[in-house]
Parts: sequence; C-alpha cells; structure tokens
Amino acid sequence: MKLTSLPKARILVLFVLWLALLGLLAMFAPAFFQPAVLRSILQFSTVLALVSLGQALVVLGGGAGIDLAVGAMVSLVAILSMLAVRAGLPGFLLPPAAILLGGLLGLGNGLLVTRLGLLPLIATLGTLFLYGGLALALTGGGPVPGVPAWLFPFGRGTLGLVPWHFLAFVLPVFVLVALILSQTAWGRWVRAMGFRENAARLAGIPVSRVRLLLYVTSGLLAGMAALVTLAWFGSARPNIGQNLELESLAAVLVGGVSILGGAGGVFGVLAAVLFIVSLKTAMQFSNIATTWQVGAIGLLLILVLLIDRRTVRWNA
Amino acid sequence: MSTEPIGRELVLGLAILAACLAFALASPFFATPANALIIGRNAIELLLIGLGLTFVLAGGGIDVAVGMVMGLAAIAAAHGLLMGLPAGLALTLAVLAGTLLGCLTGMVVAIGRVPAIVATIGLYGVYRTAIFVWLGGQWLSGLPSGLTDLLSGTLLGLPVALLVVVLAYALAHVLLRRTPFGIHLLAVGHDEDKARLMGVNVVGTRLVAFALGGGLAGLAGAFHVATYRNVEMTIGSNTALDAIAAVILGGTSILGGRASLLGTMLGIILLRVLQNGLVLVGVPSLWQTVVTGLLLLGVLSLEGHLLGLGDRLRNFWRQPA
Repeated sequence: MKLTSLPKARILVLFVLWLALLGLLAMFAPAFFQPAVLRSILQFSTVLALVSLGQALVVLGGGAGIDLAVGAMVSLVAILSMLAVRAGLPGFLLPPAAILLGGLLGLGNGLLVTRLGLLPLIATLGTLFLYGGLALALTGGGPVPGVPAWLFPFGRGTLGLVPWHFLAFVLPVFVLVALILSQTAWGRWVRAMGFRENAARLAGIPVSRVRLLLYVTSGLLAGMAALVTLAWFGSARPNIGQNLELESLAAVLVGGVSILGGAGGVFGVLAAVLFIVSLKTAMQFSNIATTWQVGAIGLLLILVLLIDRRTVRWNA
Repeated sequence: MSTEPIGRELVLGLAILAACLAFALASPFFATPANALIIGRNAIELLLIGLGLTFVLAGGGIDVAVGMVMGLAAIAAAHGLLMGLPAGLALTLAVLAGTLLGCLTGMVVAIGRVPAIVATIGLYGVYRTAIFVWLGGQWLSGLPSGLTDLLSGTLLGLPVALLVVVLAYALAHVLLRRTPFGIHLLAVGHDEDKARLMGVNVVGTRLVAFALGGGLAGLAGAFHVATYRNVEMTIGSNTALDAIAAVILGGTSILGGRASLLGTMLGIILLRVLQNGLVLVGVPSLWQTVVTGLLLLGVLSLEGHLLGLGDRLRNFWRQPA
C-alpha cells in the first residue's frame, strides 16, 4: 500500500462541496465574487490554516493523536505574550516570544502524551481546561491591549489581495511541511508511525521523539496564529481561540487526513480551511446569523465522516 | 468481579475529607448546612450527567455534547411549562428529548462508525446552534414553578433531588452489574471484536449506552429548570467537560471496559467541593477550569506513570483486525 496516497474519496467530496458552494453563490449572491470578499476570506483563513496544520500533523502521526488544546493555546499565548510586553518585554521580541511560548505549551502536551503515556484525547482535554482557564483567569476575562503599533500593518495590510500574514506564515509553512513530509526521512517516519506504529517501532523509528516534536510543532503554529491575532486586533483576547478545536478538526478531516493517522496531505487541509472560511463568509454575506456557523461546521464534520465511513473503524 | 478499582474510590473519599477539613478551617462559611445545600444543588446536574457518561465511557465511547443535550432538554421542558403542561409531563418531555438526542448521537457513532470524540465535537456545534436559534438570542426566564414544586421539594423529609440521585445510581448499579446489558457493555468497551465474536450486539449495546446518557442529561435539564427557573444562552457549555473529568477521576477507563459508579459520584463531589471551597477562600471563580484541568492531569499523570499503561493507550484507535 502506498504511504502517500490521500483518501481520495474525501478529496472528491471536498471538491463537490466547493463546486456546490460556488454554484449556489453564483446563482443567489453573485455580488460575493469581488476582490474585497476574497481578501477578507484570506484574512480570516490564516489563523485557522496555521492551527489546522498543527492538528493535521498530530493526527497524521497516529497513536490516536488529536490536539483539543489548539484553541486554548492560541488564547493563552496571546494573553501571556501581551502580559510579558506589559511587564517590560521589548516590543521587538514579541514575535519570537509568542512563537516560542506556543512551542512550550505544545511541549507540555507532547510530554503528557509521550512521557506519561496519557491518551492524547485526555491529555489535551486536560490542557484545554488548563490553558483556556489560565487565559481567562489571568485577565479576569477582559482583553489585554497595548500591542506595539508597528505590528499592525502585518496583521491588517495586504500585498494586492493577499494579507501579509498569509504570505509570510501560511504559504511558507505549508510548503515547508509538505516538503518535509514528502522529501525527508522525518516525513516518512510520521506517515509510517501513523500507518502502523508497531512496525515503525520495529523498523527503528524513534516514535516517541517524533510524536513529541509533532505536538511541539502544533504549539509553535498556535503561537504563530496567536501573533497574527495580536497584530490584527491590537489586543490579546482570552477567548480568541474559541471553537478552533472544532474548526481545525473539521478542516483536517474534510481535507482528507485519516483520523487513524498515516494518510493525508497538507494541501487538502489548506483547501478545506479555505472552504470552511468561505462557507462562513458566504453565510455572513447572506445575512445568516453567525450562530449558525458553528452548527454548519459541526454538521459538515459529521457528514463528511459519515460519507467516508468505510475508511473509519469504530473506536473511541 | 474485580472490575471496580477500589483504591481510587478510597483515595477520592480521603481527598474529599481532606478538602472539606481544609476549607472548614480556612472559611467559616464552608461547614454550614446552607453551604452543603449549595454544593448539593450545584452537583445534581453533574451527578446525573456523569452517571450517563459512565455508561458511555464504559462502552469505549465519549460524549462531549451531553451538556448541549441537557440544554435542549431544559428548553423543551421550559416550553412545556410555558404552554401550561403539568410538571410531570414537562419532566417526561425533557427526558424524552434527551433520550432522542442521545439516540441520534448513538446512531452517528455506532451505526455511522464515526469516532465518538469527532462525532460529538461536531454534534456539540450543531446542538449549540440549535440552542441559540431556539432561544432566539435571549434567556427563558421567570418560568412557571411546576417543576420546582415537583423536584426541589422534600419527600418523607428528604430532598427529592437526593432521592432521585440515589435511586438513579442504585438502578444503574443493577443495570451495569446484574443485567446482560451491563456485562455486554463492559465487554464491548474492553474489546469490541472479541465481544462481537461472542455474540454481543455491539451496535445495539453502544446505542443504548448513548441513549441512556442522553436520557440522564434530559433529566438533568429538568432539574436545571426546577432549580433556576430559567434557561440561559450558555447552558451546559462546560458541563460535559466537567463531567468527563470527574468520571475519569472516578476510575472509569477512557478506554472502556472498566466502570465505577461510586467513583463517578465521588469524583463529582470532589470537583464541586473544590470549586465551592476555593470561591469561599477567595479564589475567583474563573480559576475553576484551571483547577479541574490540574486535578485531571495530576491524577492521571501519576497513575499513568505508576502503571505504565503506555502500550495499551497507544493502541487505542487501532485494535487488531
């Protein structure tokens, strides 16, 4: 069996969904197709794309991998790095500090999973409580203002239609991860251990170390996402990561990654992220209340998996 | 049968005692009858939902959407009361709504074969939207007192809520330990393939577990209406996570196959005592989720470290074909 094959059925489903969305929009809301809307979709895609990439890597690595704490990490990194700035951290250190903090939080998840042998579901559920709770408790629930003004162009500016953060973060990391997955031993290790862990161990792949790095990477990407929200909104909001676990899981699974690990690619995930954000934008555009969005994404997640049921064995 | 991890229950019992002692020394308001009543009232929803989740987890599933099921059932009961239904019917309506939603979850998981965590994260979103839409963006408040009279009163000198909880746990014990269903459920949770080979109806057993979880969440919804006489927009948003944490603390295995009803009960009481006591000694209530997370991770880390469960955990999603 090929290690690199995508679950093609799901990519096909995603393609059909795209066609359906575009068709509906062309028929009922042709005004949707204008540069400003495209720009806004890309603007809103960055955070979800970064977080979903981390989620995808964790799921790809198998071992019941799942990262429920992605949203909580985004919230906590945003809060902690702004508290650090207010405590005297020089502004120019904010970007590296945010990304590093994300990595540390991811390391926490990774250690719980690889060193203490906790089930990823429970470990990240625990840190979802812990990180998300800390983000709220440290601030009393309010936003922390005071992001250095020089960061704003990065969060709000565009080159043509493409936001700077999309160019600077999303495109490079997706290309980089795709190259690593397809061209390096590390990439093959990730797929191999997701595909059949015991065989991977017997083949000498350092499964625990690779898995630890996957959780750290998910944290680093959450740190990047937090930085983008800071530069975009100009303040740290303790609930900024809300619902990201649902949306990132939806993006990963709709994007063709197998929940069992081993199979799937990152560009399917990017296509799914753009679809989800387009769907949300289209709903907003059609004056459907935003409260419908979370339901629509939940339904999407379930329907795609139901369609795909033959590749998914019951468990969990 | 030695499926009950007795050690865990002893530890939880001692932890509850220690926490109570510490809080009683630290705050003059903790060890009072009024506060005991508050803790009990705050625990009742979680006790019922945790009981349902114990069944779901015992069968190797998980349900992060039960809090939303409680919310929808509470809205159903509230609308029933507003339409002038007698309290008994409103109660039935809530339990029925919960059971139906639990069946729906069970169908997606057991028949649709979607992994339970993913399915219920998705359903959480769907139910959440349903709650928002049904409530139309505002609270249902000032509800008729029918359910309050029925469920918040006393019977034979004891609170009705206490009687309901004791009865529910007693019935659950019989169901889990003395009926074919309970034995099948634990078998399915322990090893699905072996259970199927032995002739267990795996799909049906799982479906019933989720339906049971939904029904108990519905009952919890009725208690919510009885206690607060309103339904808020955010109803149930943290309930499932709190309950899952408490059930796992209680010694029920997230991998399925092992359940402890007493542990669930003690885990929930410990959680609520800690949350109540910390507020009384001056910790802002926003820290509650942090405490829950630390408690969950602390206990499990210790256990995982001691018992070396690594290999079984790693094979969680992939059982031999």
